[in-house]
Amino acid sequence: MTAPLLKVDHLTVGFPSKAGVVGAVTDVSFEIHPGEVLAVVGESGSGKSVTALAVMRLHSKSTHISGSVMFNDTDLLALPEDQMRAIRGRDIAMIFQDPMTALNPVFTVGMQIVEAILLHHHDMTKQKAWERAVELLDMVGVPEPRRRAAQYPHEFSGGMRQRAMIAMAISNDPKLLIADEPTTALDVTVQAQVMEVLHEVKRATGSAIMLITHDLGLVAGSADRVQVMYASRLFETGSIDEIFYESRNPYTRALLDSIPDLEGTKDELHPIPGNPPSLLRPPAGCPFRPRCSMAIELCREQTPALIQIANSHASRCHRADELAVLAAGAPA
Amino acid sequence: MFAYITRRVLATVPLLVVALYLVHVMVSATTDPLADFRLCLPRCQDGFDQIVENYNLDVNLWLRPFTWFESALGGDLGRSESLGLPVTTILWDRGINTAMIAVPAFLVGSIVALLLSIYSARRPYTKGDYALTGLSFIGFAFPSFVMALVLQNLLAVQFENWFGVKPFNTGRKTGENFLELARDVFLPALTLIIVGVAADSRFGRASMIETLNQDYIRTARAKGVPEKTVVWKHALRNALIPLVTLWALNFSALLSGAVVTESIYSWPGLGPAFLTSIGEADVDLVLGIVIFSAVLTVAFNLVADVLYGILDPRIRFD
Repeated sequence: MTAPLLKVDHLTVGFPSKAGVVGAVTDVSFEIHPGEVLAVVGESGSGKSVTALAVMRLHSKSTHISGSVMFNDTDLLALPEDQMRAIRGRDIAMIFQDPMTALNPVFTVGMQIVEAILLHHHDMTKQKAWERAVELLDMVGVPEPRRRAAQYPHEFSGGMRQRAMIAMAISNDPKLLIADEPTTALDVTVQAQVMEVLHEVKRATGSAIMLITHDLGLVAGSADRVQVMYASRLFETGSIDEIFYESRNPYTRALLDSIPDLEGTKDELHPIPGNPPSLLRPPAGCPFRPRCSMAIELCREQTPALIQIANSHASRCHRADELAVLAAGAPA
Repeated sequence: MFAYITRRVLATVPLLVVALYLVHVMVSATTDPLADFRLCLPRCQDGFDQIVENYNLDVNLWLRPFTWFESALGGDLGRSESLGLPVTTILWDRGINTAMIAVPAFLVGSIVALLLSIYSARRPYTKGDYALTGLSFIGFAFPSFVMALVLQNLLAVQFENWFGVKPFNTGRKTGENFLELARDVFLPALTLIIVGVAADSRFGRASMIETLNQDYIRTARAKGVPEKTVVWKHALRNALIPLVTLWALNFSALLSGAVVTESIYSWPGLGPAFLTSIGEADVDLVLGIVIFSAVLTVAFNLVADVLYGILDPRIRFD
């Protein structure tokens, strides 16, 4: 296996509040290899986006961040701000959840892409950058790109804005593209188109993608590996098949079980009962225990460690071994 | 855009007419220019008749504004009994005097308020921000007459050679050299600046903080935009949009005369004239100043709306 592009080790992120530090990400370690698509899945507040923002170092100064984020053997967390800025948008680019608010309303779409290009190509002329912006818009499937580049974000539909965001993100051929819920704010029909654009981009540029989503359906069709997060921790990580068919974690299974079935073979929906725990004062033991159908006494006393199951498969559960027996027919 | 401005100007005509009609009726109904004469009748019948004629007192109260409108349309806003001058002359001379302190106060005040807002918004809830918040609350809490008196005592009395205390002067401020004029302008303008900055910097801070928390600011940072450019290019233009209206209203209010501040510094602007006109039941002068300030307010609102459209591409004039 090649050397990892991104290697995150023991990343912990806390937000200070009046009541204490909110542990948004706790001891998370993972790797992304060049050209790989890693999906990060979990409920709202599980720490997916916070992890991504920590990699980009886009948190406010008061945020507590520890651990290390190695990108091509450079520790991003130890980098001075100006060097980090040179990496942002050039080596690591990001696409955000809500394209309606992620573009600046007072500048044309073309100008915003041109800005991204010129920031990392100091010797390029404005005209050339504009040509490149038009090319990029064309590449992500914006019709009449020359005319559209001169328009403002409010003249774009949601799907078109997200395409423009993608064009902006790939304008410097980043090695890693972080897509934070890129389709969540879009209509279902547009979601598929935007994912198609992302795949197109990946094929064309060969960049790795960290795809953050809570939509497992999206994951199945597009990721190489999946990482499930719950209450600020990594709960399970593995290949698509390992997660979807051989999951060793009750949370992952509950998540898979809660997907509505469009073919109608399911009689009823199976939501996960209860709510995720408070991150300010997390309960002792396993954070999923109060909602888990398999909880035992040990789960109350001890937080389970991440247990290695196979080469690429690991699960945080005291009963991960027992789950192997149940794995055969999953998802239930 | 030209069609839009024309439409807006035409739409303000009925507004001004209604406002002036009501002011005219109210001032006429609550004052009696004949009060002094009634006591000496019939000895002063001539003066009595003169006043009746001047103020059209023989016309019904509700119809009286129309005679005023008639002459106002011809450019004659009447004559001020209390100052003994045509109203248009007073508006012109006093208006220029007021502008001499209003324009520098507005320019300096707005720029200082904006810089302080940006400073605070970039480090909200830190010592620097709290210090500015505290100062602005102090500035806020001081009524302008207290602020003016404090500054007058602290500066004009202590440093008499610099600012001096001058005798009252009602004419137009001319014939003085620039330095002398600047010295006279300094204290009243400073008073207006302090009071104005205290309020404006709160609005500016709120607008800037809100803008800096927008998603597109995060997008800009994620692109690798330097923080300076994030603030001065991406955030500032968006944060200015709500402030433009505030500034336009501030400026028109300042140009209409600062009653308290100008009176305390004996500055012969529109403010003291307005005070005199009300005290002396000088209907024509009251109306003259009201129409002046109403036109200014309407005009600067229009300017604000046009600037809005220039700053924000989402707004279209049609």
